Amino acid sequence: MPTYETEGGQGTGRRQGTLAGLFLVLAVVALYLPGPAQEGVASALRGSVLLPFISAQQGIVDARIRTAEVEALQARLDSTLAAMSVQRPLADENRRLRELLSLRDRAGPSFVPATVVRPGTRGSESMFVLDAGSEAGVSVNDPVVSADGLLGVVREVQARSAIAMDWTHPDFRVSAMSVDGEVYGLVEPSRGAFREADRLLLSGTPYHSEVRDSTLIVTSGRGSVYPRGIAIGRVHSLHEAQDGWRKSYWLLPAVTPAAATHVLVMTGGPDRVDADEEVPYWGLASDEGEEPASEQDSDGTPQAQEGLEVEPEGT
Amino acid sequence: MRGGWRLWGIVIVLPVLHFLLHVGLGASRWSPDLLTVALLVGARELRTGTAAGLGFVFGILEDAFSVLAFGANALAMTVLGILGARSREVFVGDSLLFLISYLALGKWFRDLLHWLVSSPEVRGALMDDLVVDGAVGAGYAAVVGAFVVLVVGVWREPVA
Repeated sequence: MPTYETEGGQGTGRRQGTLAGLFLVLAVVALYLPGPAQEGVASALRGSVLLPFISAQQGIVDARIRTAEVEALQARLDSTLAAMSVQRPLADENRRLRELLSLRDRAGPSFVPATVVRPGTRGSESMFVLDAGSEAGVSVNDPVVSADGLLGVVREVQARSAIAMDWTHPDFRVSAMSVDGEVYGLVEPSRGAFREADRLLLSGTPYHSEVRDSTLIVTSGRGSVYPRGIAIGRVHSLHEAQDGWRKSYWLLPAVTPAAATHVLVMTGGPDRVDADEEVPYWGLASDEGEEPASEQDSDGTPQAQEGLEVEPEGT
Repeated sequence: MRGGWRLWGIVIVLPVLHFLLHVGLGASRWSPDLLTVALLVGARELRTGTAAGLGFVFGILEDAFSVLAFGANALAMTVLGILGARSREVFVGDSLLFLISYLALGKWFRDLLHWLVSSPEVRGALMDDLVVDGAVGAGYAAVVGAFVVLVVGVWREPVA
């Protein structure tokens, strides 16, 4: 470190002051840039200077998945194969019946597997980088799910990567319902004292409808972003009952963001969200007034509680 | 240019190490804020405008991962760079105690600036972010930063 040293001459000092002021103005401009412009700058930096660091974490996460989680993945594969072997005849039967009834094939969502990379820098909480982008079919507002349920939604897409926010983001909102379709509401995040204590809040539910503790809350399919039936969380306790006209409940999230390493992106855009077409994929009734979902629906798809481990084939 | 190759080595290597630890290895929980240490060390030797530019570049790089408050790091680091450079004219010190105090206060002030600039709905509680996390982070960065500075030899004056 130097001992006392001045900026030099008066001219140099003025130039340095002007330069400092210029950078200060640039920083303020960056802070108040419109969202798309901020995303453009951030995207350019992530795709150039910071790309080696992101690639390094992707490699590490991939290696970790290949080693530490082999047993868990093997178990999931086994359960998937077992479920699929049972479903195959049901799927064939379903296909024949649809042909007899002249029903068109269900389009259904397609899933793009992706690895989650968390930057871990200040201000990057609630967001993560996916190693799949537009080349793989990922687009903005595609839901990101794990085997346990809904993790978040894609915010920005580049060719080979995407930025997504998880449910702890202050802007996160999802229309939700109880798994039996009886109670509808809006799920939003609620900050805890520490980030690990973040929770979800189901608000706007009718006052006279009782939602029991541990009831599974799933997406309702309203709002053209999230398909119906993705697990969001389970009711933990009553938050408040407002003057006899509505209630809100604390939810225990189905997915812990920090624990998510390997996820699926549901591609297909807004066309994907067609309740009549999508509901059977998540084992839920399509009409609000219908009976609660049975153990397996007509084409043998397991219930939403079983999450995404099983994808029906040919339905 | 002031500072010589050792100073620029710190200004280049520490940020690379910072992003390698935080982003590359995903070890942000136990990694010190080497970006702020690099800026604080560099700012003591660089001119005000250069230090501000360095702070802006460091901050905008960190903001590339910030969906919640883009620009907050850039502003905080730019201000910190200016103040670090101007601090030469206010605080003159050569001791290890001064070095650690300078780094700790600088890191804590950077956290304070970021907290102030971030919107209220995204920042945490004042007590948690600045008193608990901020104090621990400042101490950690100061110790690591002082160690690096002394090992590299940028601290040219004899340590008291």
